[in-house]
Amino acid sequence: MIEFINVRKSYGAGNLMATALEDINFKIEKEEFVSFVGHSGAGKSTILKLIYAEEKPTSGEIIFNGEDISKISSRQLPYHRRRIGTVFQDYKLLPKKTVYENVAFALEVSGYLTREIRQSVPQILDIVGLSNKLGSYPHEISGGEQQRAAIARALVHRPALIIADEPTGNLDPISAWGIIQLLLKINKLGTTIVLATHDKDIVNNVKRRVITLDQGRIIRDHSKGRYAI
Amino acid sequence: MLLTISRTLKAGFQNFYRNGSLSVAAVSILTLSLLIISIIIVLSITANLGLKFIQDKIDIRVYFKSDTDTSKMMDFRSEILRYGEVKSADIVSKERALSEFKTNNTNKPEILKAIEAVQDNPLLASVNIKATDPEKYSVIANSIENSAYKEDIASINYQQYKLVIDRFNSTIKTIRKTGVFLFILFSLIAILITFNVIRMTIFNHGTEIEIMRLVGASNNYIRLPFVFEGIIYGAASACIAIVLLIPMVRILTPYIIGSSYVNVIQSGFSTYFILIFLIQLLLGTLLGVISSLLAIRRYLKT
Repeated sequence: MIEFINVRKSYGAGNLMATALEDINFKIEKEEFVSFVGHSGAGKSTILKLIYAEEKPTSGEIIFNGEDISKISSRQLPYHRRRIGTVFQDYKLLPKKTVYENVAFALEVSGYLTREIRQSVPQILDIVGLSNKLGSYPHEISGGEQQRAAIARALVHRPALIIADEPTGNLDPISAWGIIQLLLKINKLGTTIVLATHDKDIVNNVKRRVITLDQGRIIRDHSKGRYAI
Repeated sequence: MLLTISRTLKAGFQNFYRNGSLSVAAVSILTLSLLIISIIIVLSITANLGLKFIQDKIDIRVYFKSDTDTSKMMDFRSEILRYGEVKSADIVSKERALSEFKTNNTNKPEILKAIEAVQDNPLLASVNIKATDPEKYSVIANSIENSAYKEDIASINYQQYKLVIDRFNSTIKTIRKTGVFLFILFSLIAILITFNVIRMTIFNHGTEIEIMRLVGASNNYIRLPFVFEGIIYGAASACIAIVLLIPMVRILTPYIIGSSYVNVIQSGFSTYFILIFLIQLLLGTLLGVISSLLAIRRYLKT
């Protein structure tokens, strides 16, 4: 599904050039659950940004479903984004919209009919366990619930891939584990998950593929990985 | 497409009223700018109407010696009319000059008595010439002075008007120049302020735009709510500005130009108000839309 071929990413130019990623090669198959681990600044987030094309690689190719997205045009970008759901540490919910409206927003933006929206949104909110919070505003619910709402939004247009960048970073261990179990459940239903985290307990409990990054390079890629740096 | 427009239009309205104080700030700044621009327009219209009013009163009178034939005056008139600078030329016979003189002096009986005491009509026949442009009077006067009719002409009253006409011409020029200058200056100020206010409201929506991009909104979908918001700003400001402008003009004109001309000028205004409103509406929405498009460009770069 995703393949990185000799990807390099650097910022700046000349003497001030800083290399964020170098010599990155990996392949992620459909329905995999892959965790990227490493210290802050190791390049986890940059790899994720390259996948949803927020950043473009300095050199190398990124293949997504058979297409090279390393030189995607700004016109094509929205369509690429609709195939991917994104979840972040800071939830990125719209503060002036209710949980229901936040989830519906992702569909409105992609041009779904109002009838389809009315049908899909409650279903998805049921899956993430927020059926009783439809009308709440983000500041009225807990961090774990906000992250569930964000996952519902990422999930609602049924993307093939969900990218989660430190989704548990702001949560207590119990809420965090709840979020990870939700992601595992979504993965079981057939969605590929790419997770970036530096939470050792989570990685060790998930027992799925782990790609370890250090200073912009892949140093380990184990199919039943553990957190080890 | 229709779905996009209806959703972004709704979002535009939502932005407008959910932004509360910022919308009020944007609309009041835009209203103020439009008001200043329209006051300049009103002033220049007033000046132009006033000028036209005075312009119509200015003419050159060429008085003929009392023994000149009417036919000669007719010849003179037809020759004068051939000049490009001349708009009209009317012959005023001795008799008409007398009757006009009498009506102008009905409340001065001693003058009327004096005129009736003289047996002959003491007044001279004249040709009244109006120019297409007040600047052209000196040219016309010069060519009449050098024409073949010189011998028959008793006097040309141009010289005594010259000072008035010259001052009048320079006033027109200053009014037009300062009008254009102020118009450009305030338009620029309005554009700058509006642009900044709208940029501020869009800055407030920074996270929202980021999220829209993440969930796959097209650039147009992101842009349109702000464009509609800009249109709402412009339309609202234009409505408020015209509502404020009408009473202002009605109340203030008599003080500024003196009550004797008010009727002349105000009667012409009702049509101008519609025009000014359309200009405001166009200017306001254009300002709003252009500012929105410029301000949002930064967020859509990839």
